[in-house]
Amino acid sequence: MARRKRRGSLFLGRKKISRPLCVITYVLLAAGAGRAQEAADFFRQNCVSCHTVGGGRLTGPDLKNVTARKDREWLIEFLQSPQAMMDKGDPYALKLQQEARGVVMPTISGMSKERAQALLAMLDAESKLPKSQFAGMQISDRPFTAYDVAQGAAIFRGDRGLANGGPACLSCHTVKSVSEFGGGRLGPDLTRVYERLQGRKNMAAWLFAPATPTMSSVFRQHALKPEEILPLVAFFEDAARRGGQDESAARLNFFLLGLGGAILGLVAMDAAWKRRFRNVRRALVESARRRER
Amino acid sequence: MTSTHYLDQFLFAILPYMVLITFLPVTIQRYRARGFTYSSLSSQFLENQQHFWSLVPFHYGILVITAGHIAAFFLPQQLLAWNAKPVRLYVLEISALIFAILSLVGLCAALVRRFTTSKVRRVTTTRDWILFGLLAVQIASGIGVAIFHPWGSSWFAATLTPYLWSLVRLNPNLAAVSAMPWLVKFHIVNAYLVIGYFPFTRLVHVLVIPNPYLWRKPQVVRWYRRPAEAAPKA
Repeated sequence: MARRKRRGSLFLGRKKISRPLCVITYVLLAAGAGRAQEAADFFRQNCVSCHTVGGGRLTGPDLKNVTARKDREWLIEFLQSPQAMMDKGDPYALKLQQEARGVVMPTISGMSKERAQALLAMLDAESKLPKSQFAGMQISDRPFTAYDVAQGAAIFRGDRGLANGGPACLSCHTVKSVSEFGGGRLGPDLTRVYERLQGRKNMAAWLFAPATPTMSSVFRQHALKPEEILPLVAFFEDAARRGGQDESAARLNFFLLGLGGAILGLVAMDAAWKRRFRNVRRALVESARRRER
Repeated sequence: MTSTHYLDQFLFAILPYMVLITFLPVTIQRYRARGFTYSSLSSQFLENQQHFWSLVPFHYGILVITAGHIAAFFLPQQLLAWNAKPVRLYVLEISALIFAILSLVGLCAALVRRFTTSKVRRVTTTRDWILFGLLAVQIASGIGVAIFHPWGSSWFAATLTPYLWSLVRLNPNLAAVSAMPWLVKFHIVNAYLVIGYFPFTRLVHVLVIPNPYLWRKPQVVRWYRRPAEAAPKA
């Protein structure tokens, strides 16, 4: 009997804890850790391109001790629909927009009240750490060199492959005068992106964790390495300074080459099937004429 | 949740399954019940002058383009590796554009022929006109995507291939496809419509072309006649 009792309980110091209670505690702790990890993953995927925790301001404010600056209820409402708060004319939301130089925080897909609460709990925990995992990417302040710019151009064009196997920037983006037929047009023209994102720190943060749906779906699995981000930032800084020519001629040349190739293809098909059967009557007439001759 | 969100859910997460549920059983049922209707219903016998300019460019064009899409679906990493050099990317994209234009030229020639030749027009059904319309829209929108949203061979492999595989795994991930430009979305939705319409049309002939020619043993064909030079002179 005594043995059975001992099997059903654990001893912690001098206190005896029943096994069911122990299991429940373990499950609750595991669930809490799971929620925290989920919140951290969500923050990494959706927020770090504009926010740090203790790393200073990017496009959005530094979120260290954010719950000490503003009450929790307001933050939960704002996180669920920033635009709605702006539309209501909320003075604090408008102040945040002004500080972000007019940029409105987008509504994040999958943001619910529960997720907002979990994010704030995670931010509280991260704020207490000497250095948060979301302190942001520390990019060097040294002046960019011509080598950095050349390496950035090689990464952008695809001549230097990305270490984690992501597609080259040229697949979807263009930078004026980057190559003969220009870059891709699925995403925006990045010639002035360095100016739009207001400098190297924001640019590096964006590249570290791109936030648009298309970019995040691709680079979540193939994140850029810090040693790739610095040359790319150098390249974009150089591109913004140089500007460039309109690329509509490159697009026209691409189309004309396709059209010319298709015409050549038609000529080749006509030549390859030169002796094709064209017409019953014509064949009969031609053979009759040959016989007459 | 916005109306756009629900529309995307319908077009890219529900429609593909509706299309497949139509495609597979109807294709099989038609073959079992009316196997002799598996034909291209060629009208070559009725008109053979213009026929060449619709038949040959269209088929060579569409076969290459379709093969390219299938390659991007099955071998995305290899495609991205090929496109890693801009010169190779441009060669691939220009080649694809050439074949796409060839297929459009062929289809336009087919439409003109069916409009202008009375015998051929008479054997063209409403079902054929709808199919030609869908194919014309599909090829034209594909050329539009190639010109206005390059470079599709790369971004398809990076963004749409994972989306298509998520459909195969019965766990649709619309993150990338929802953010695509409207022309790309239109091209995808029209492709689904073509696949859904496939079993009701003459397109089924692609399933019954002499496919065993590709793997059967070579056959020696002997003609039951004397060679021309050995034939007695009249």
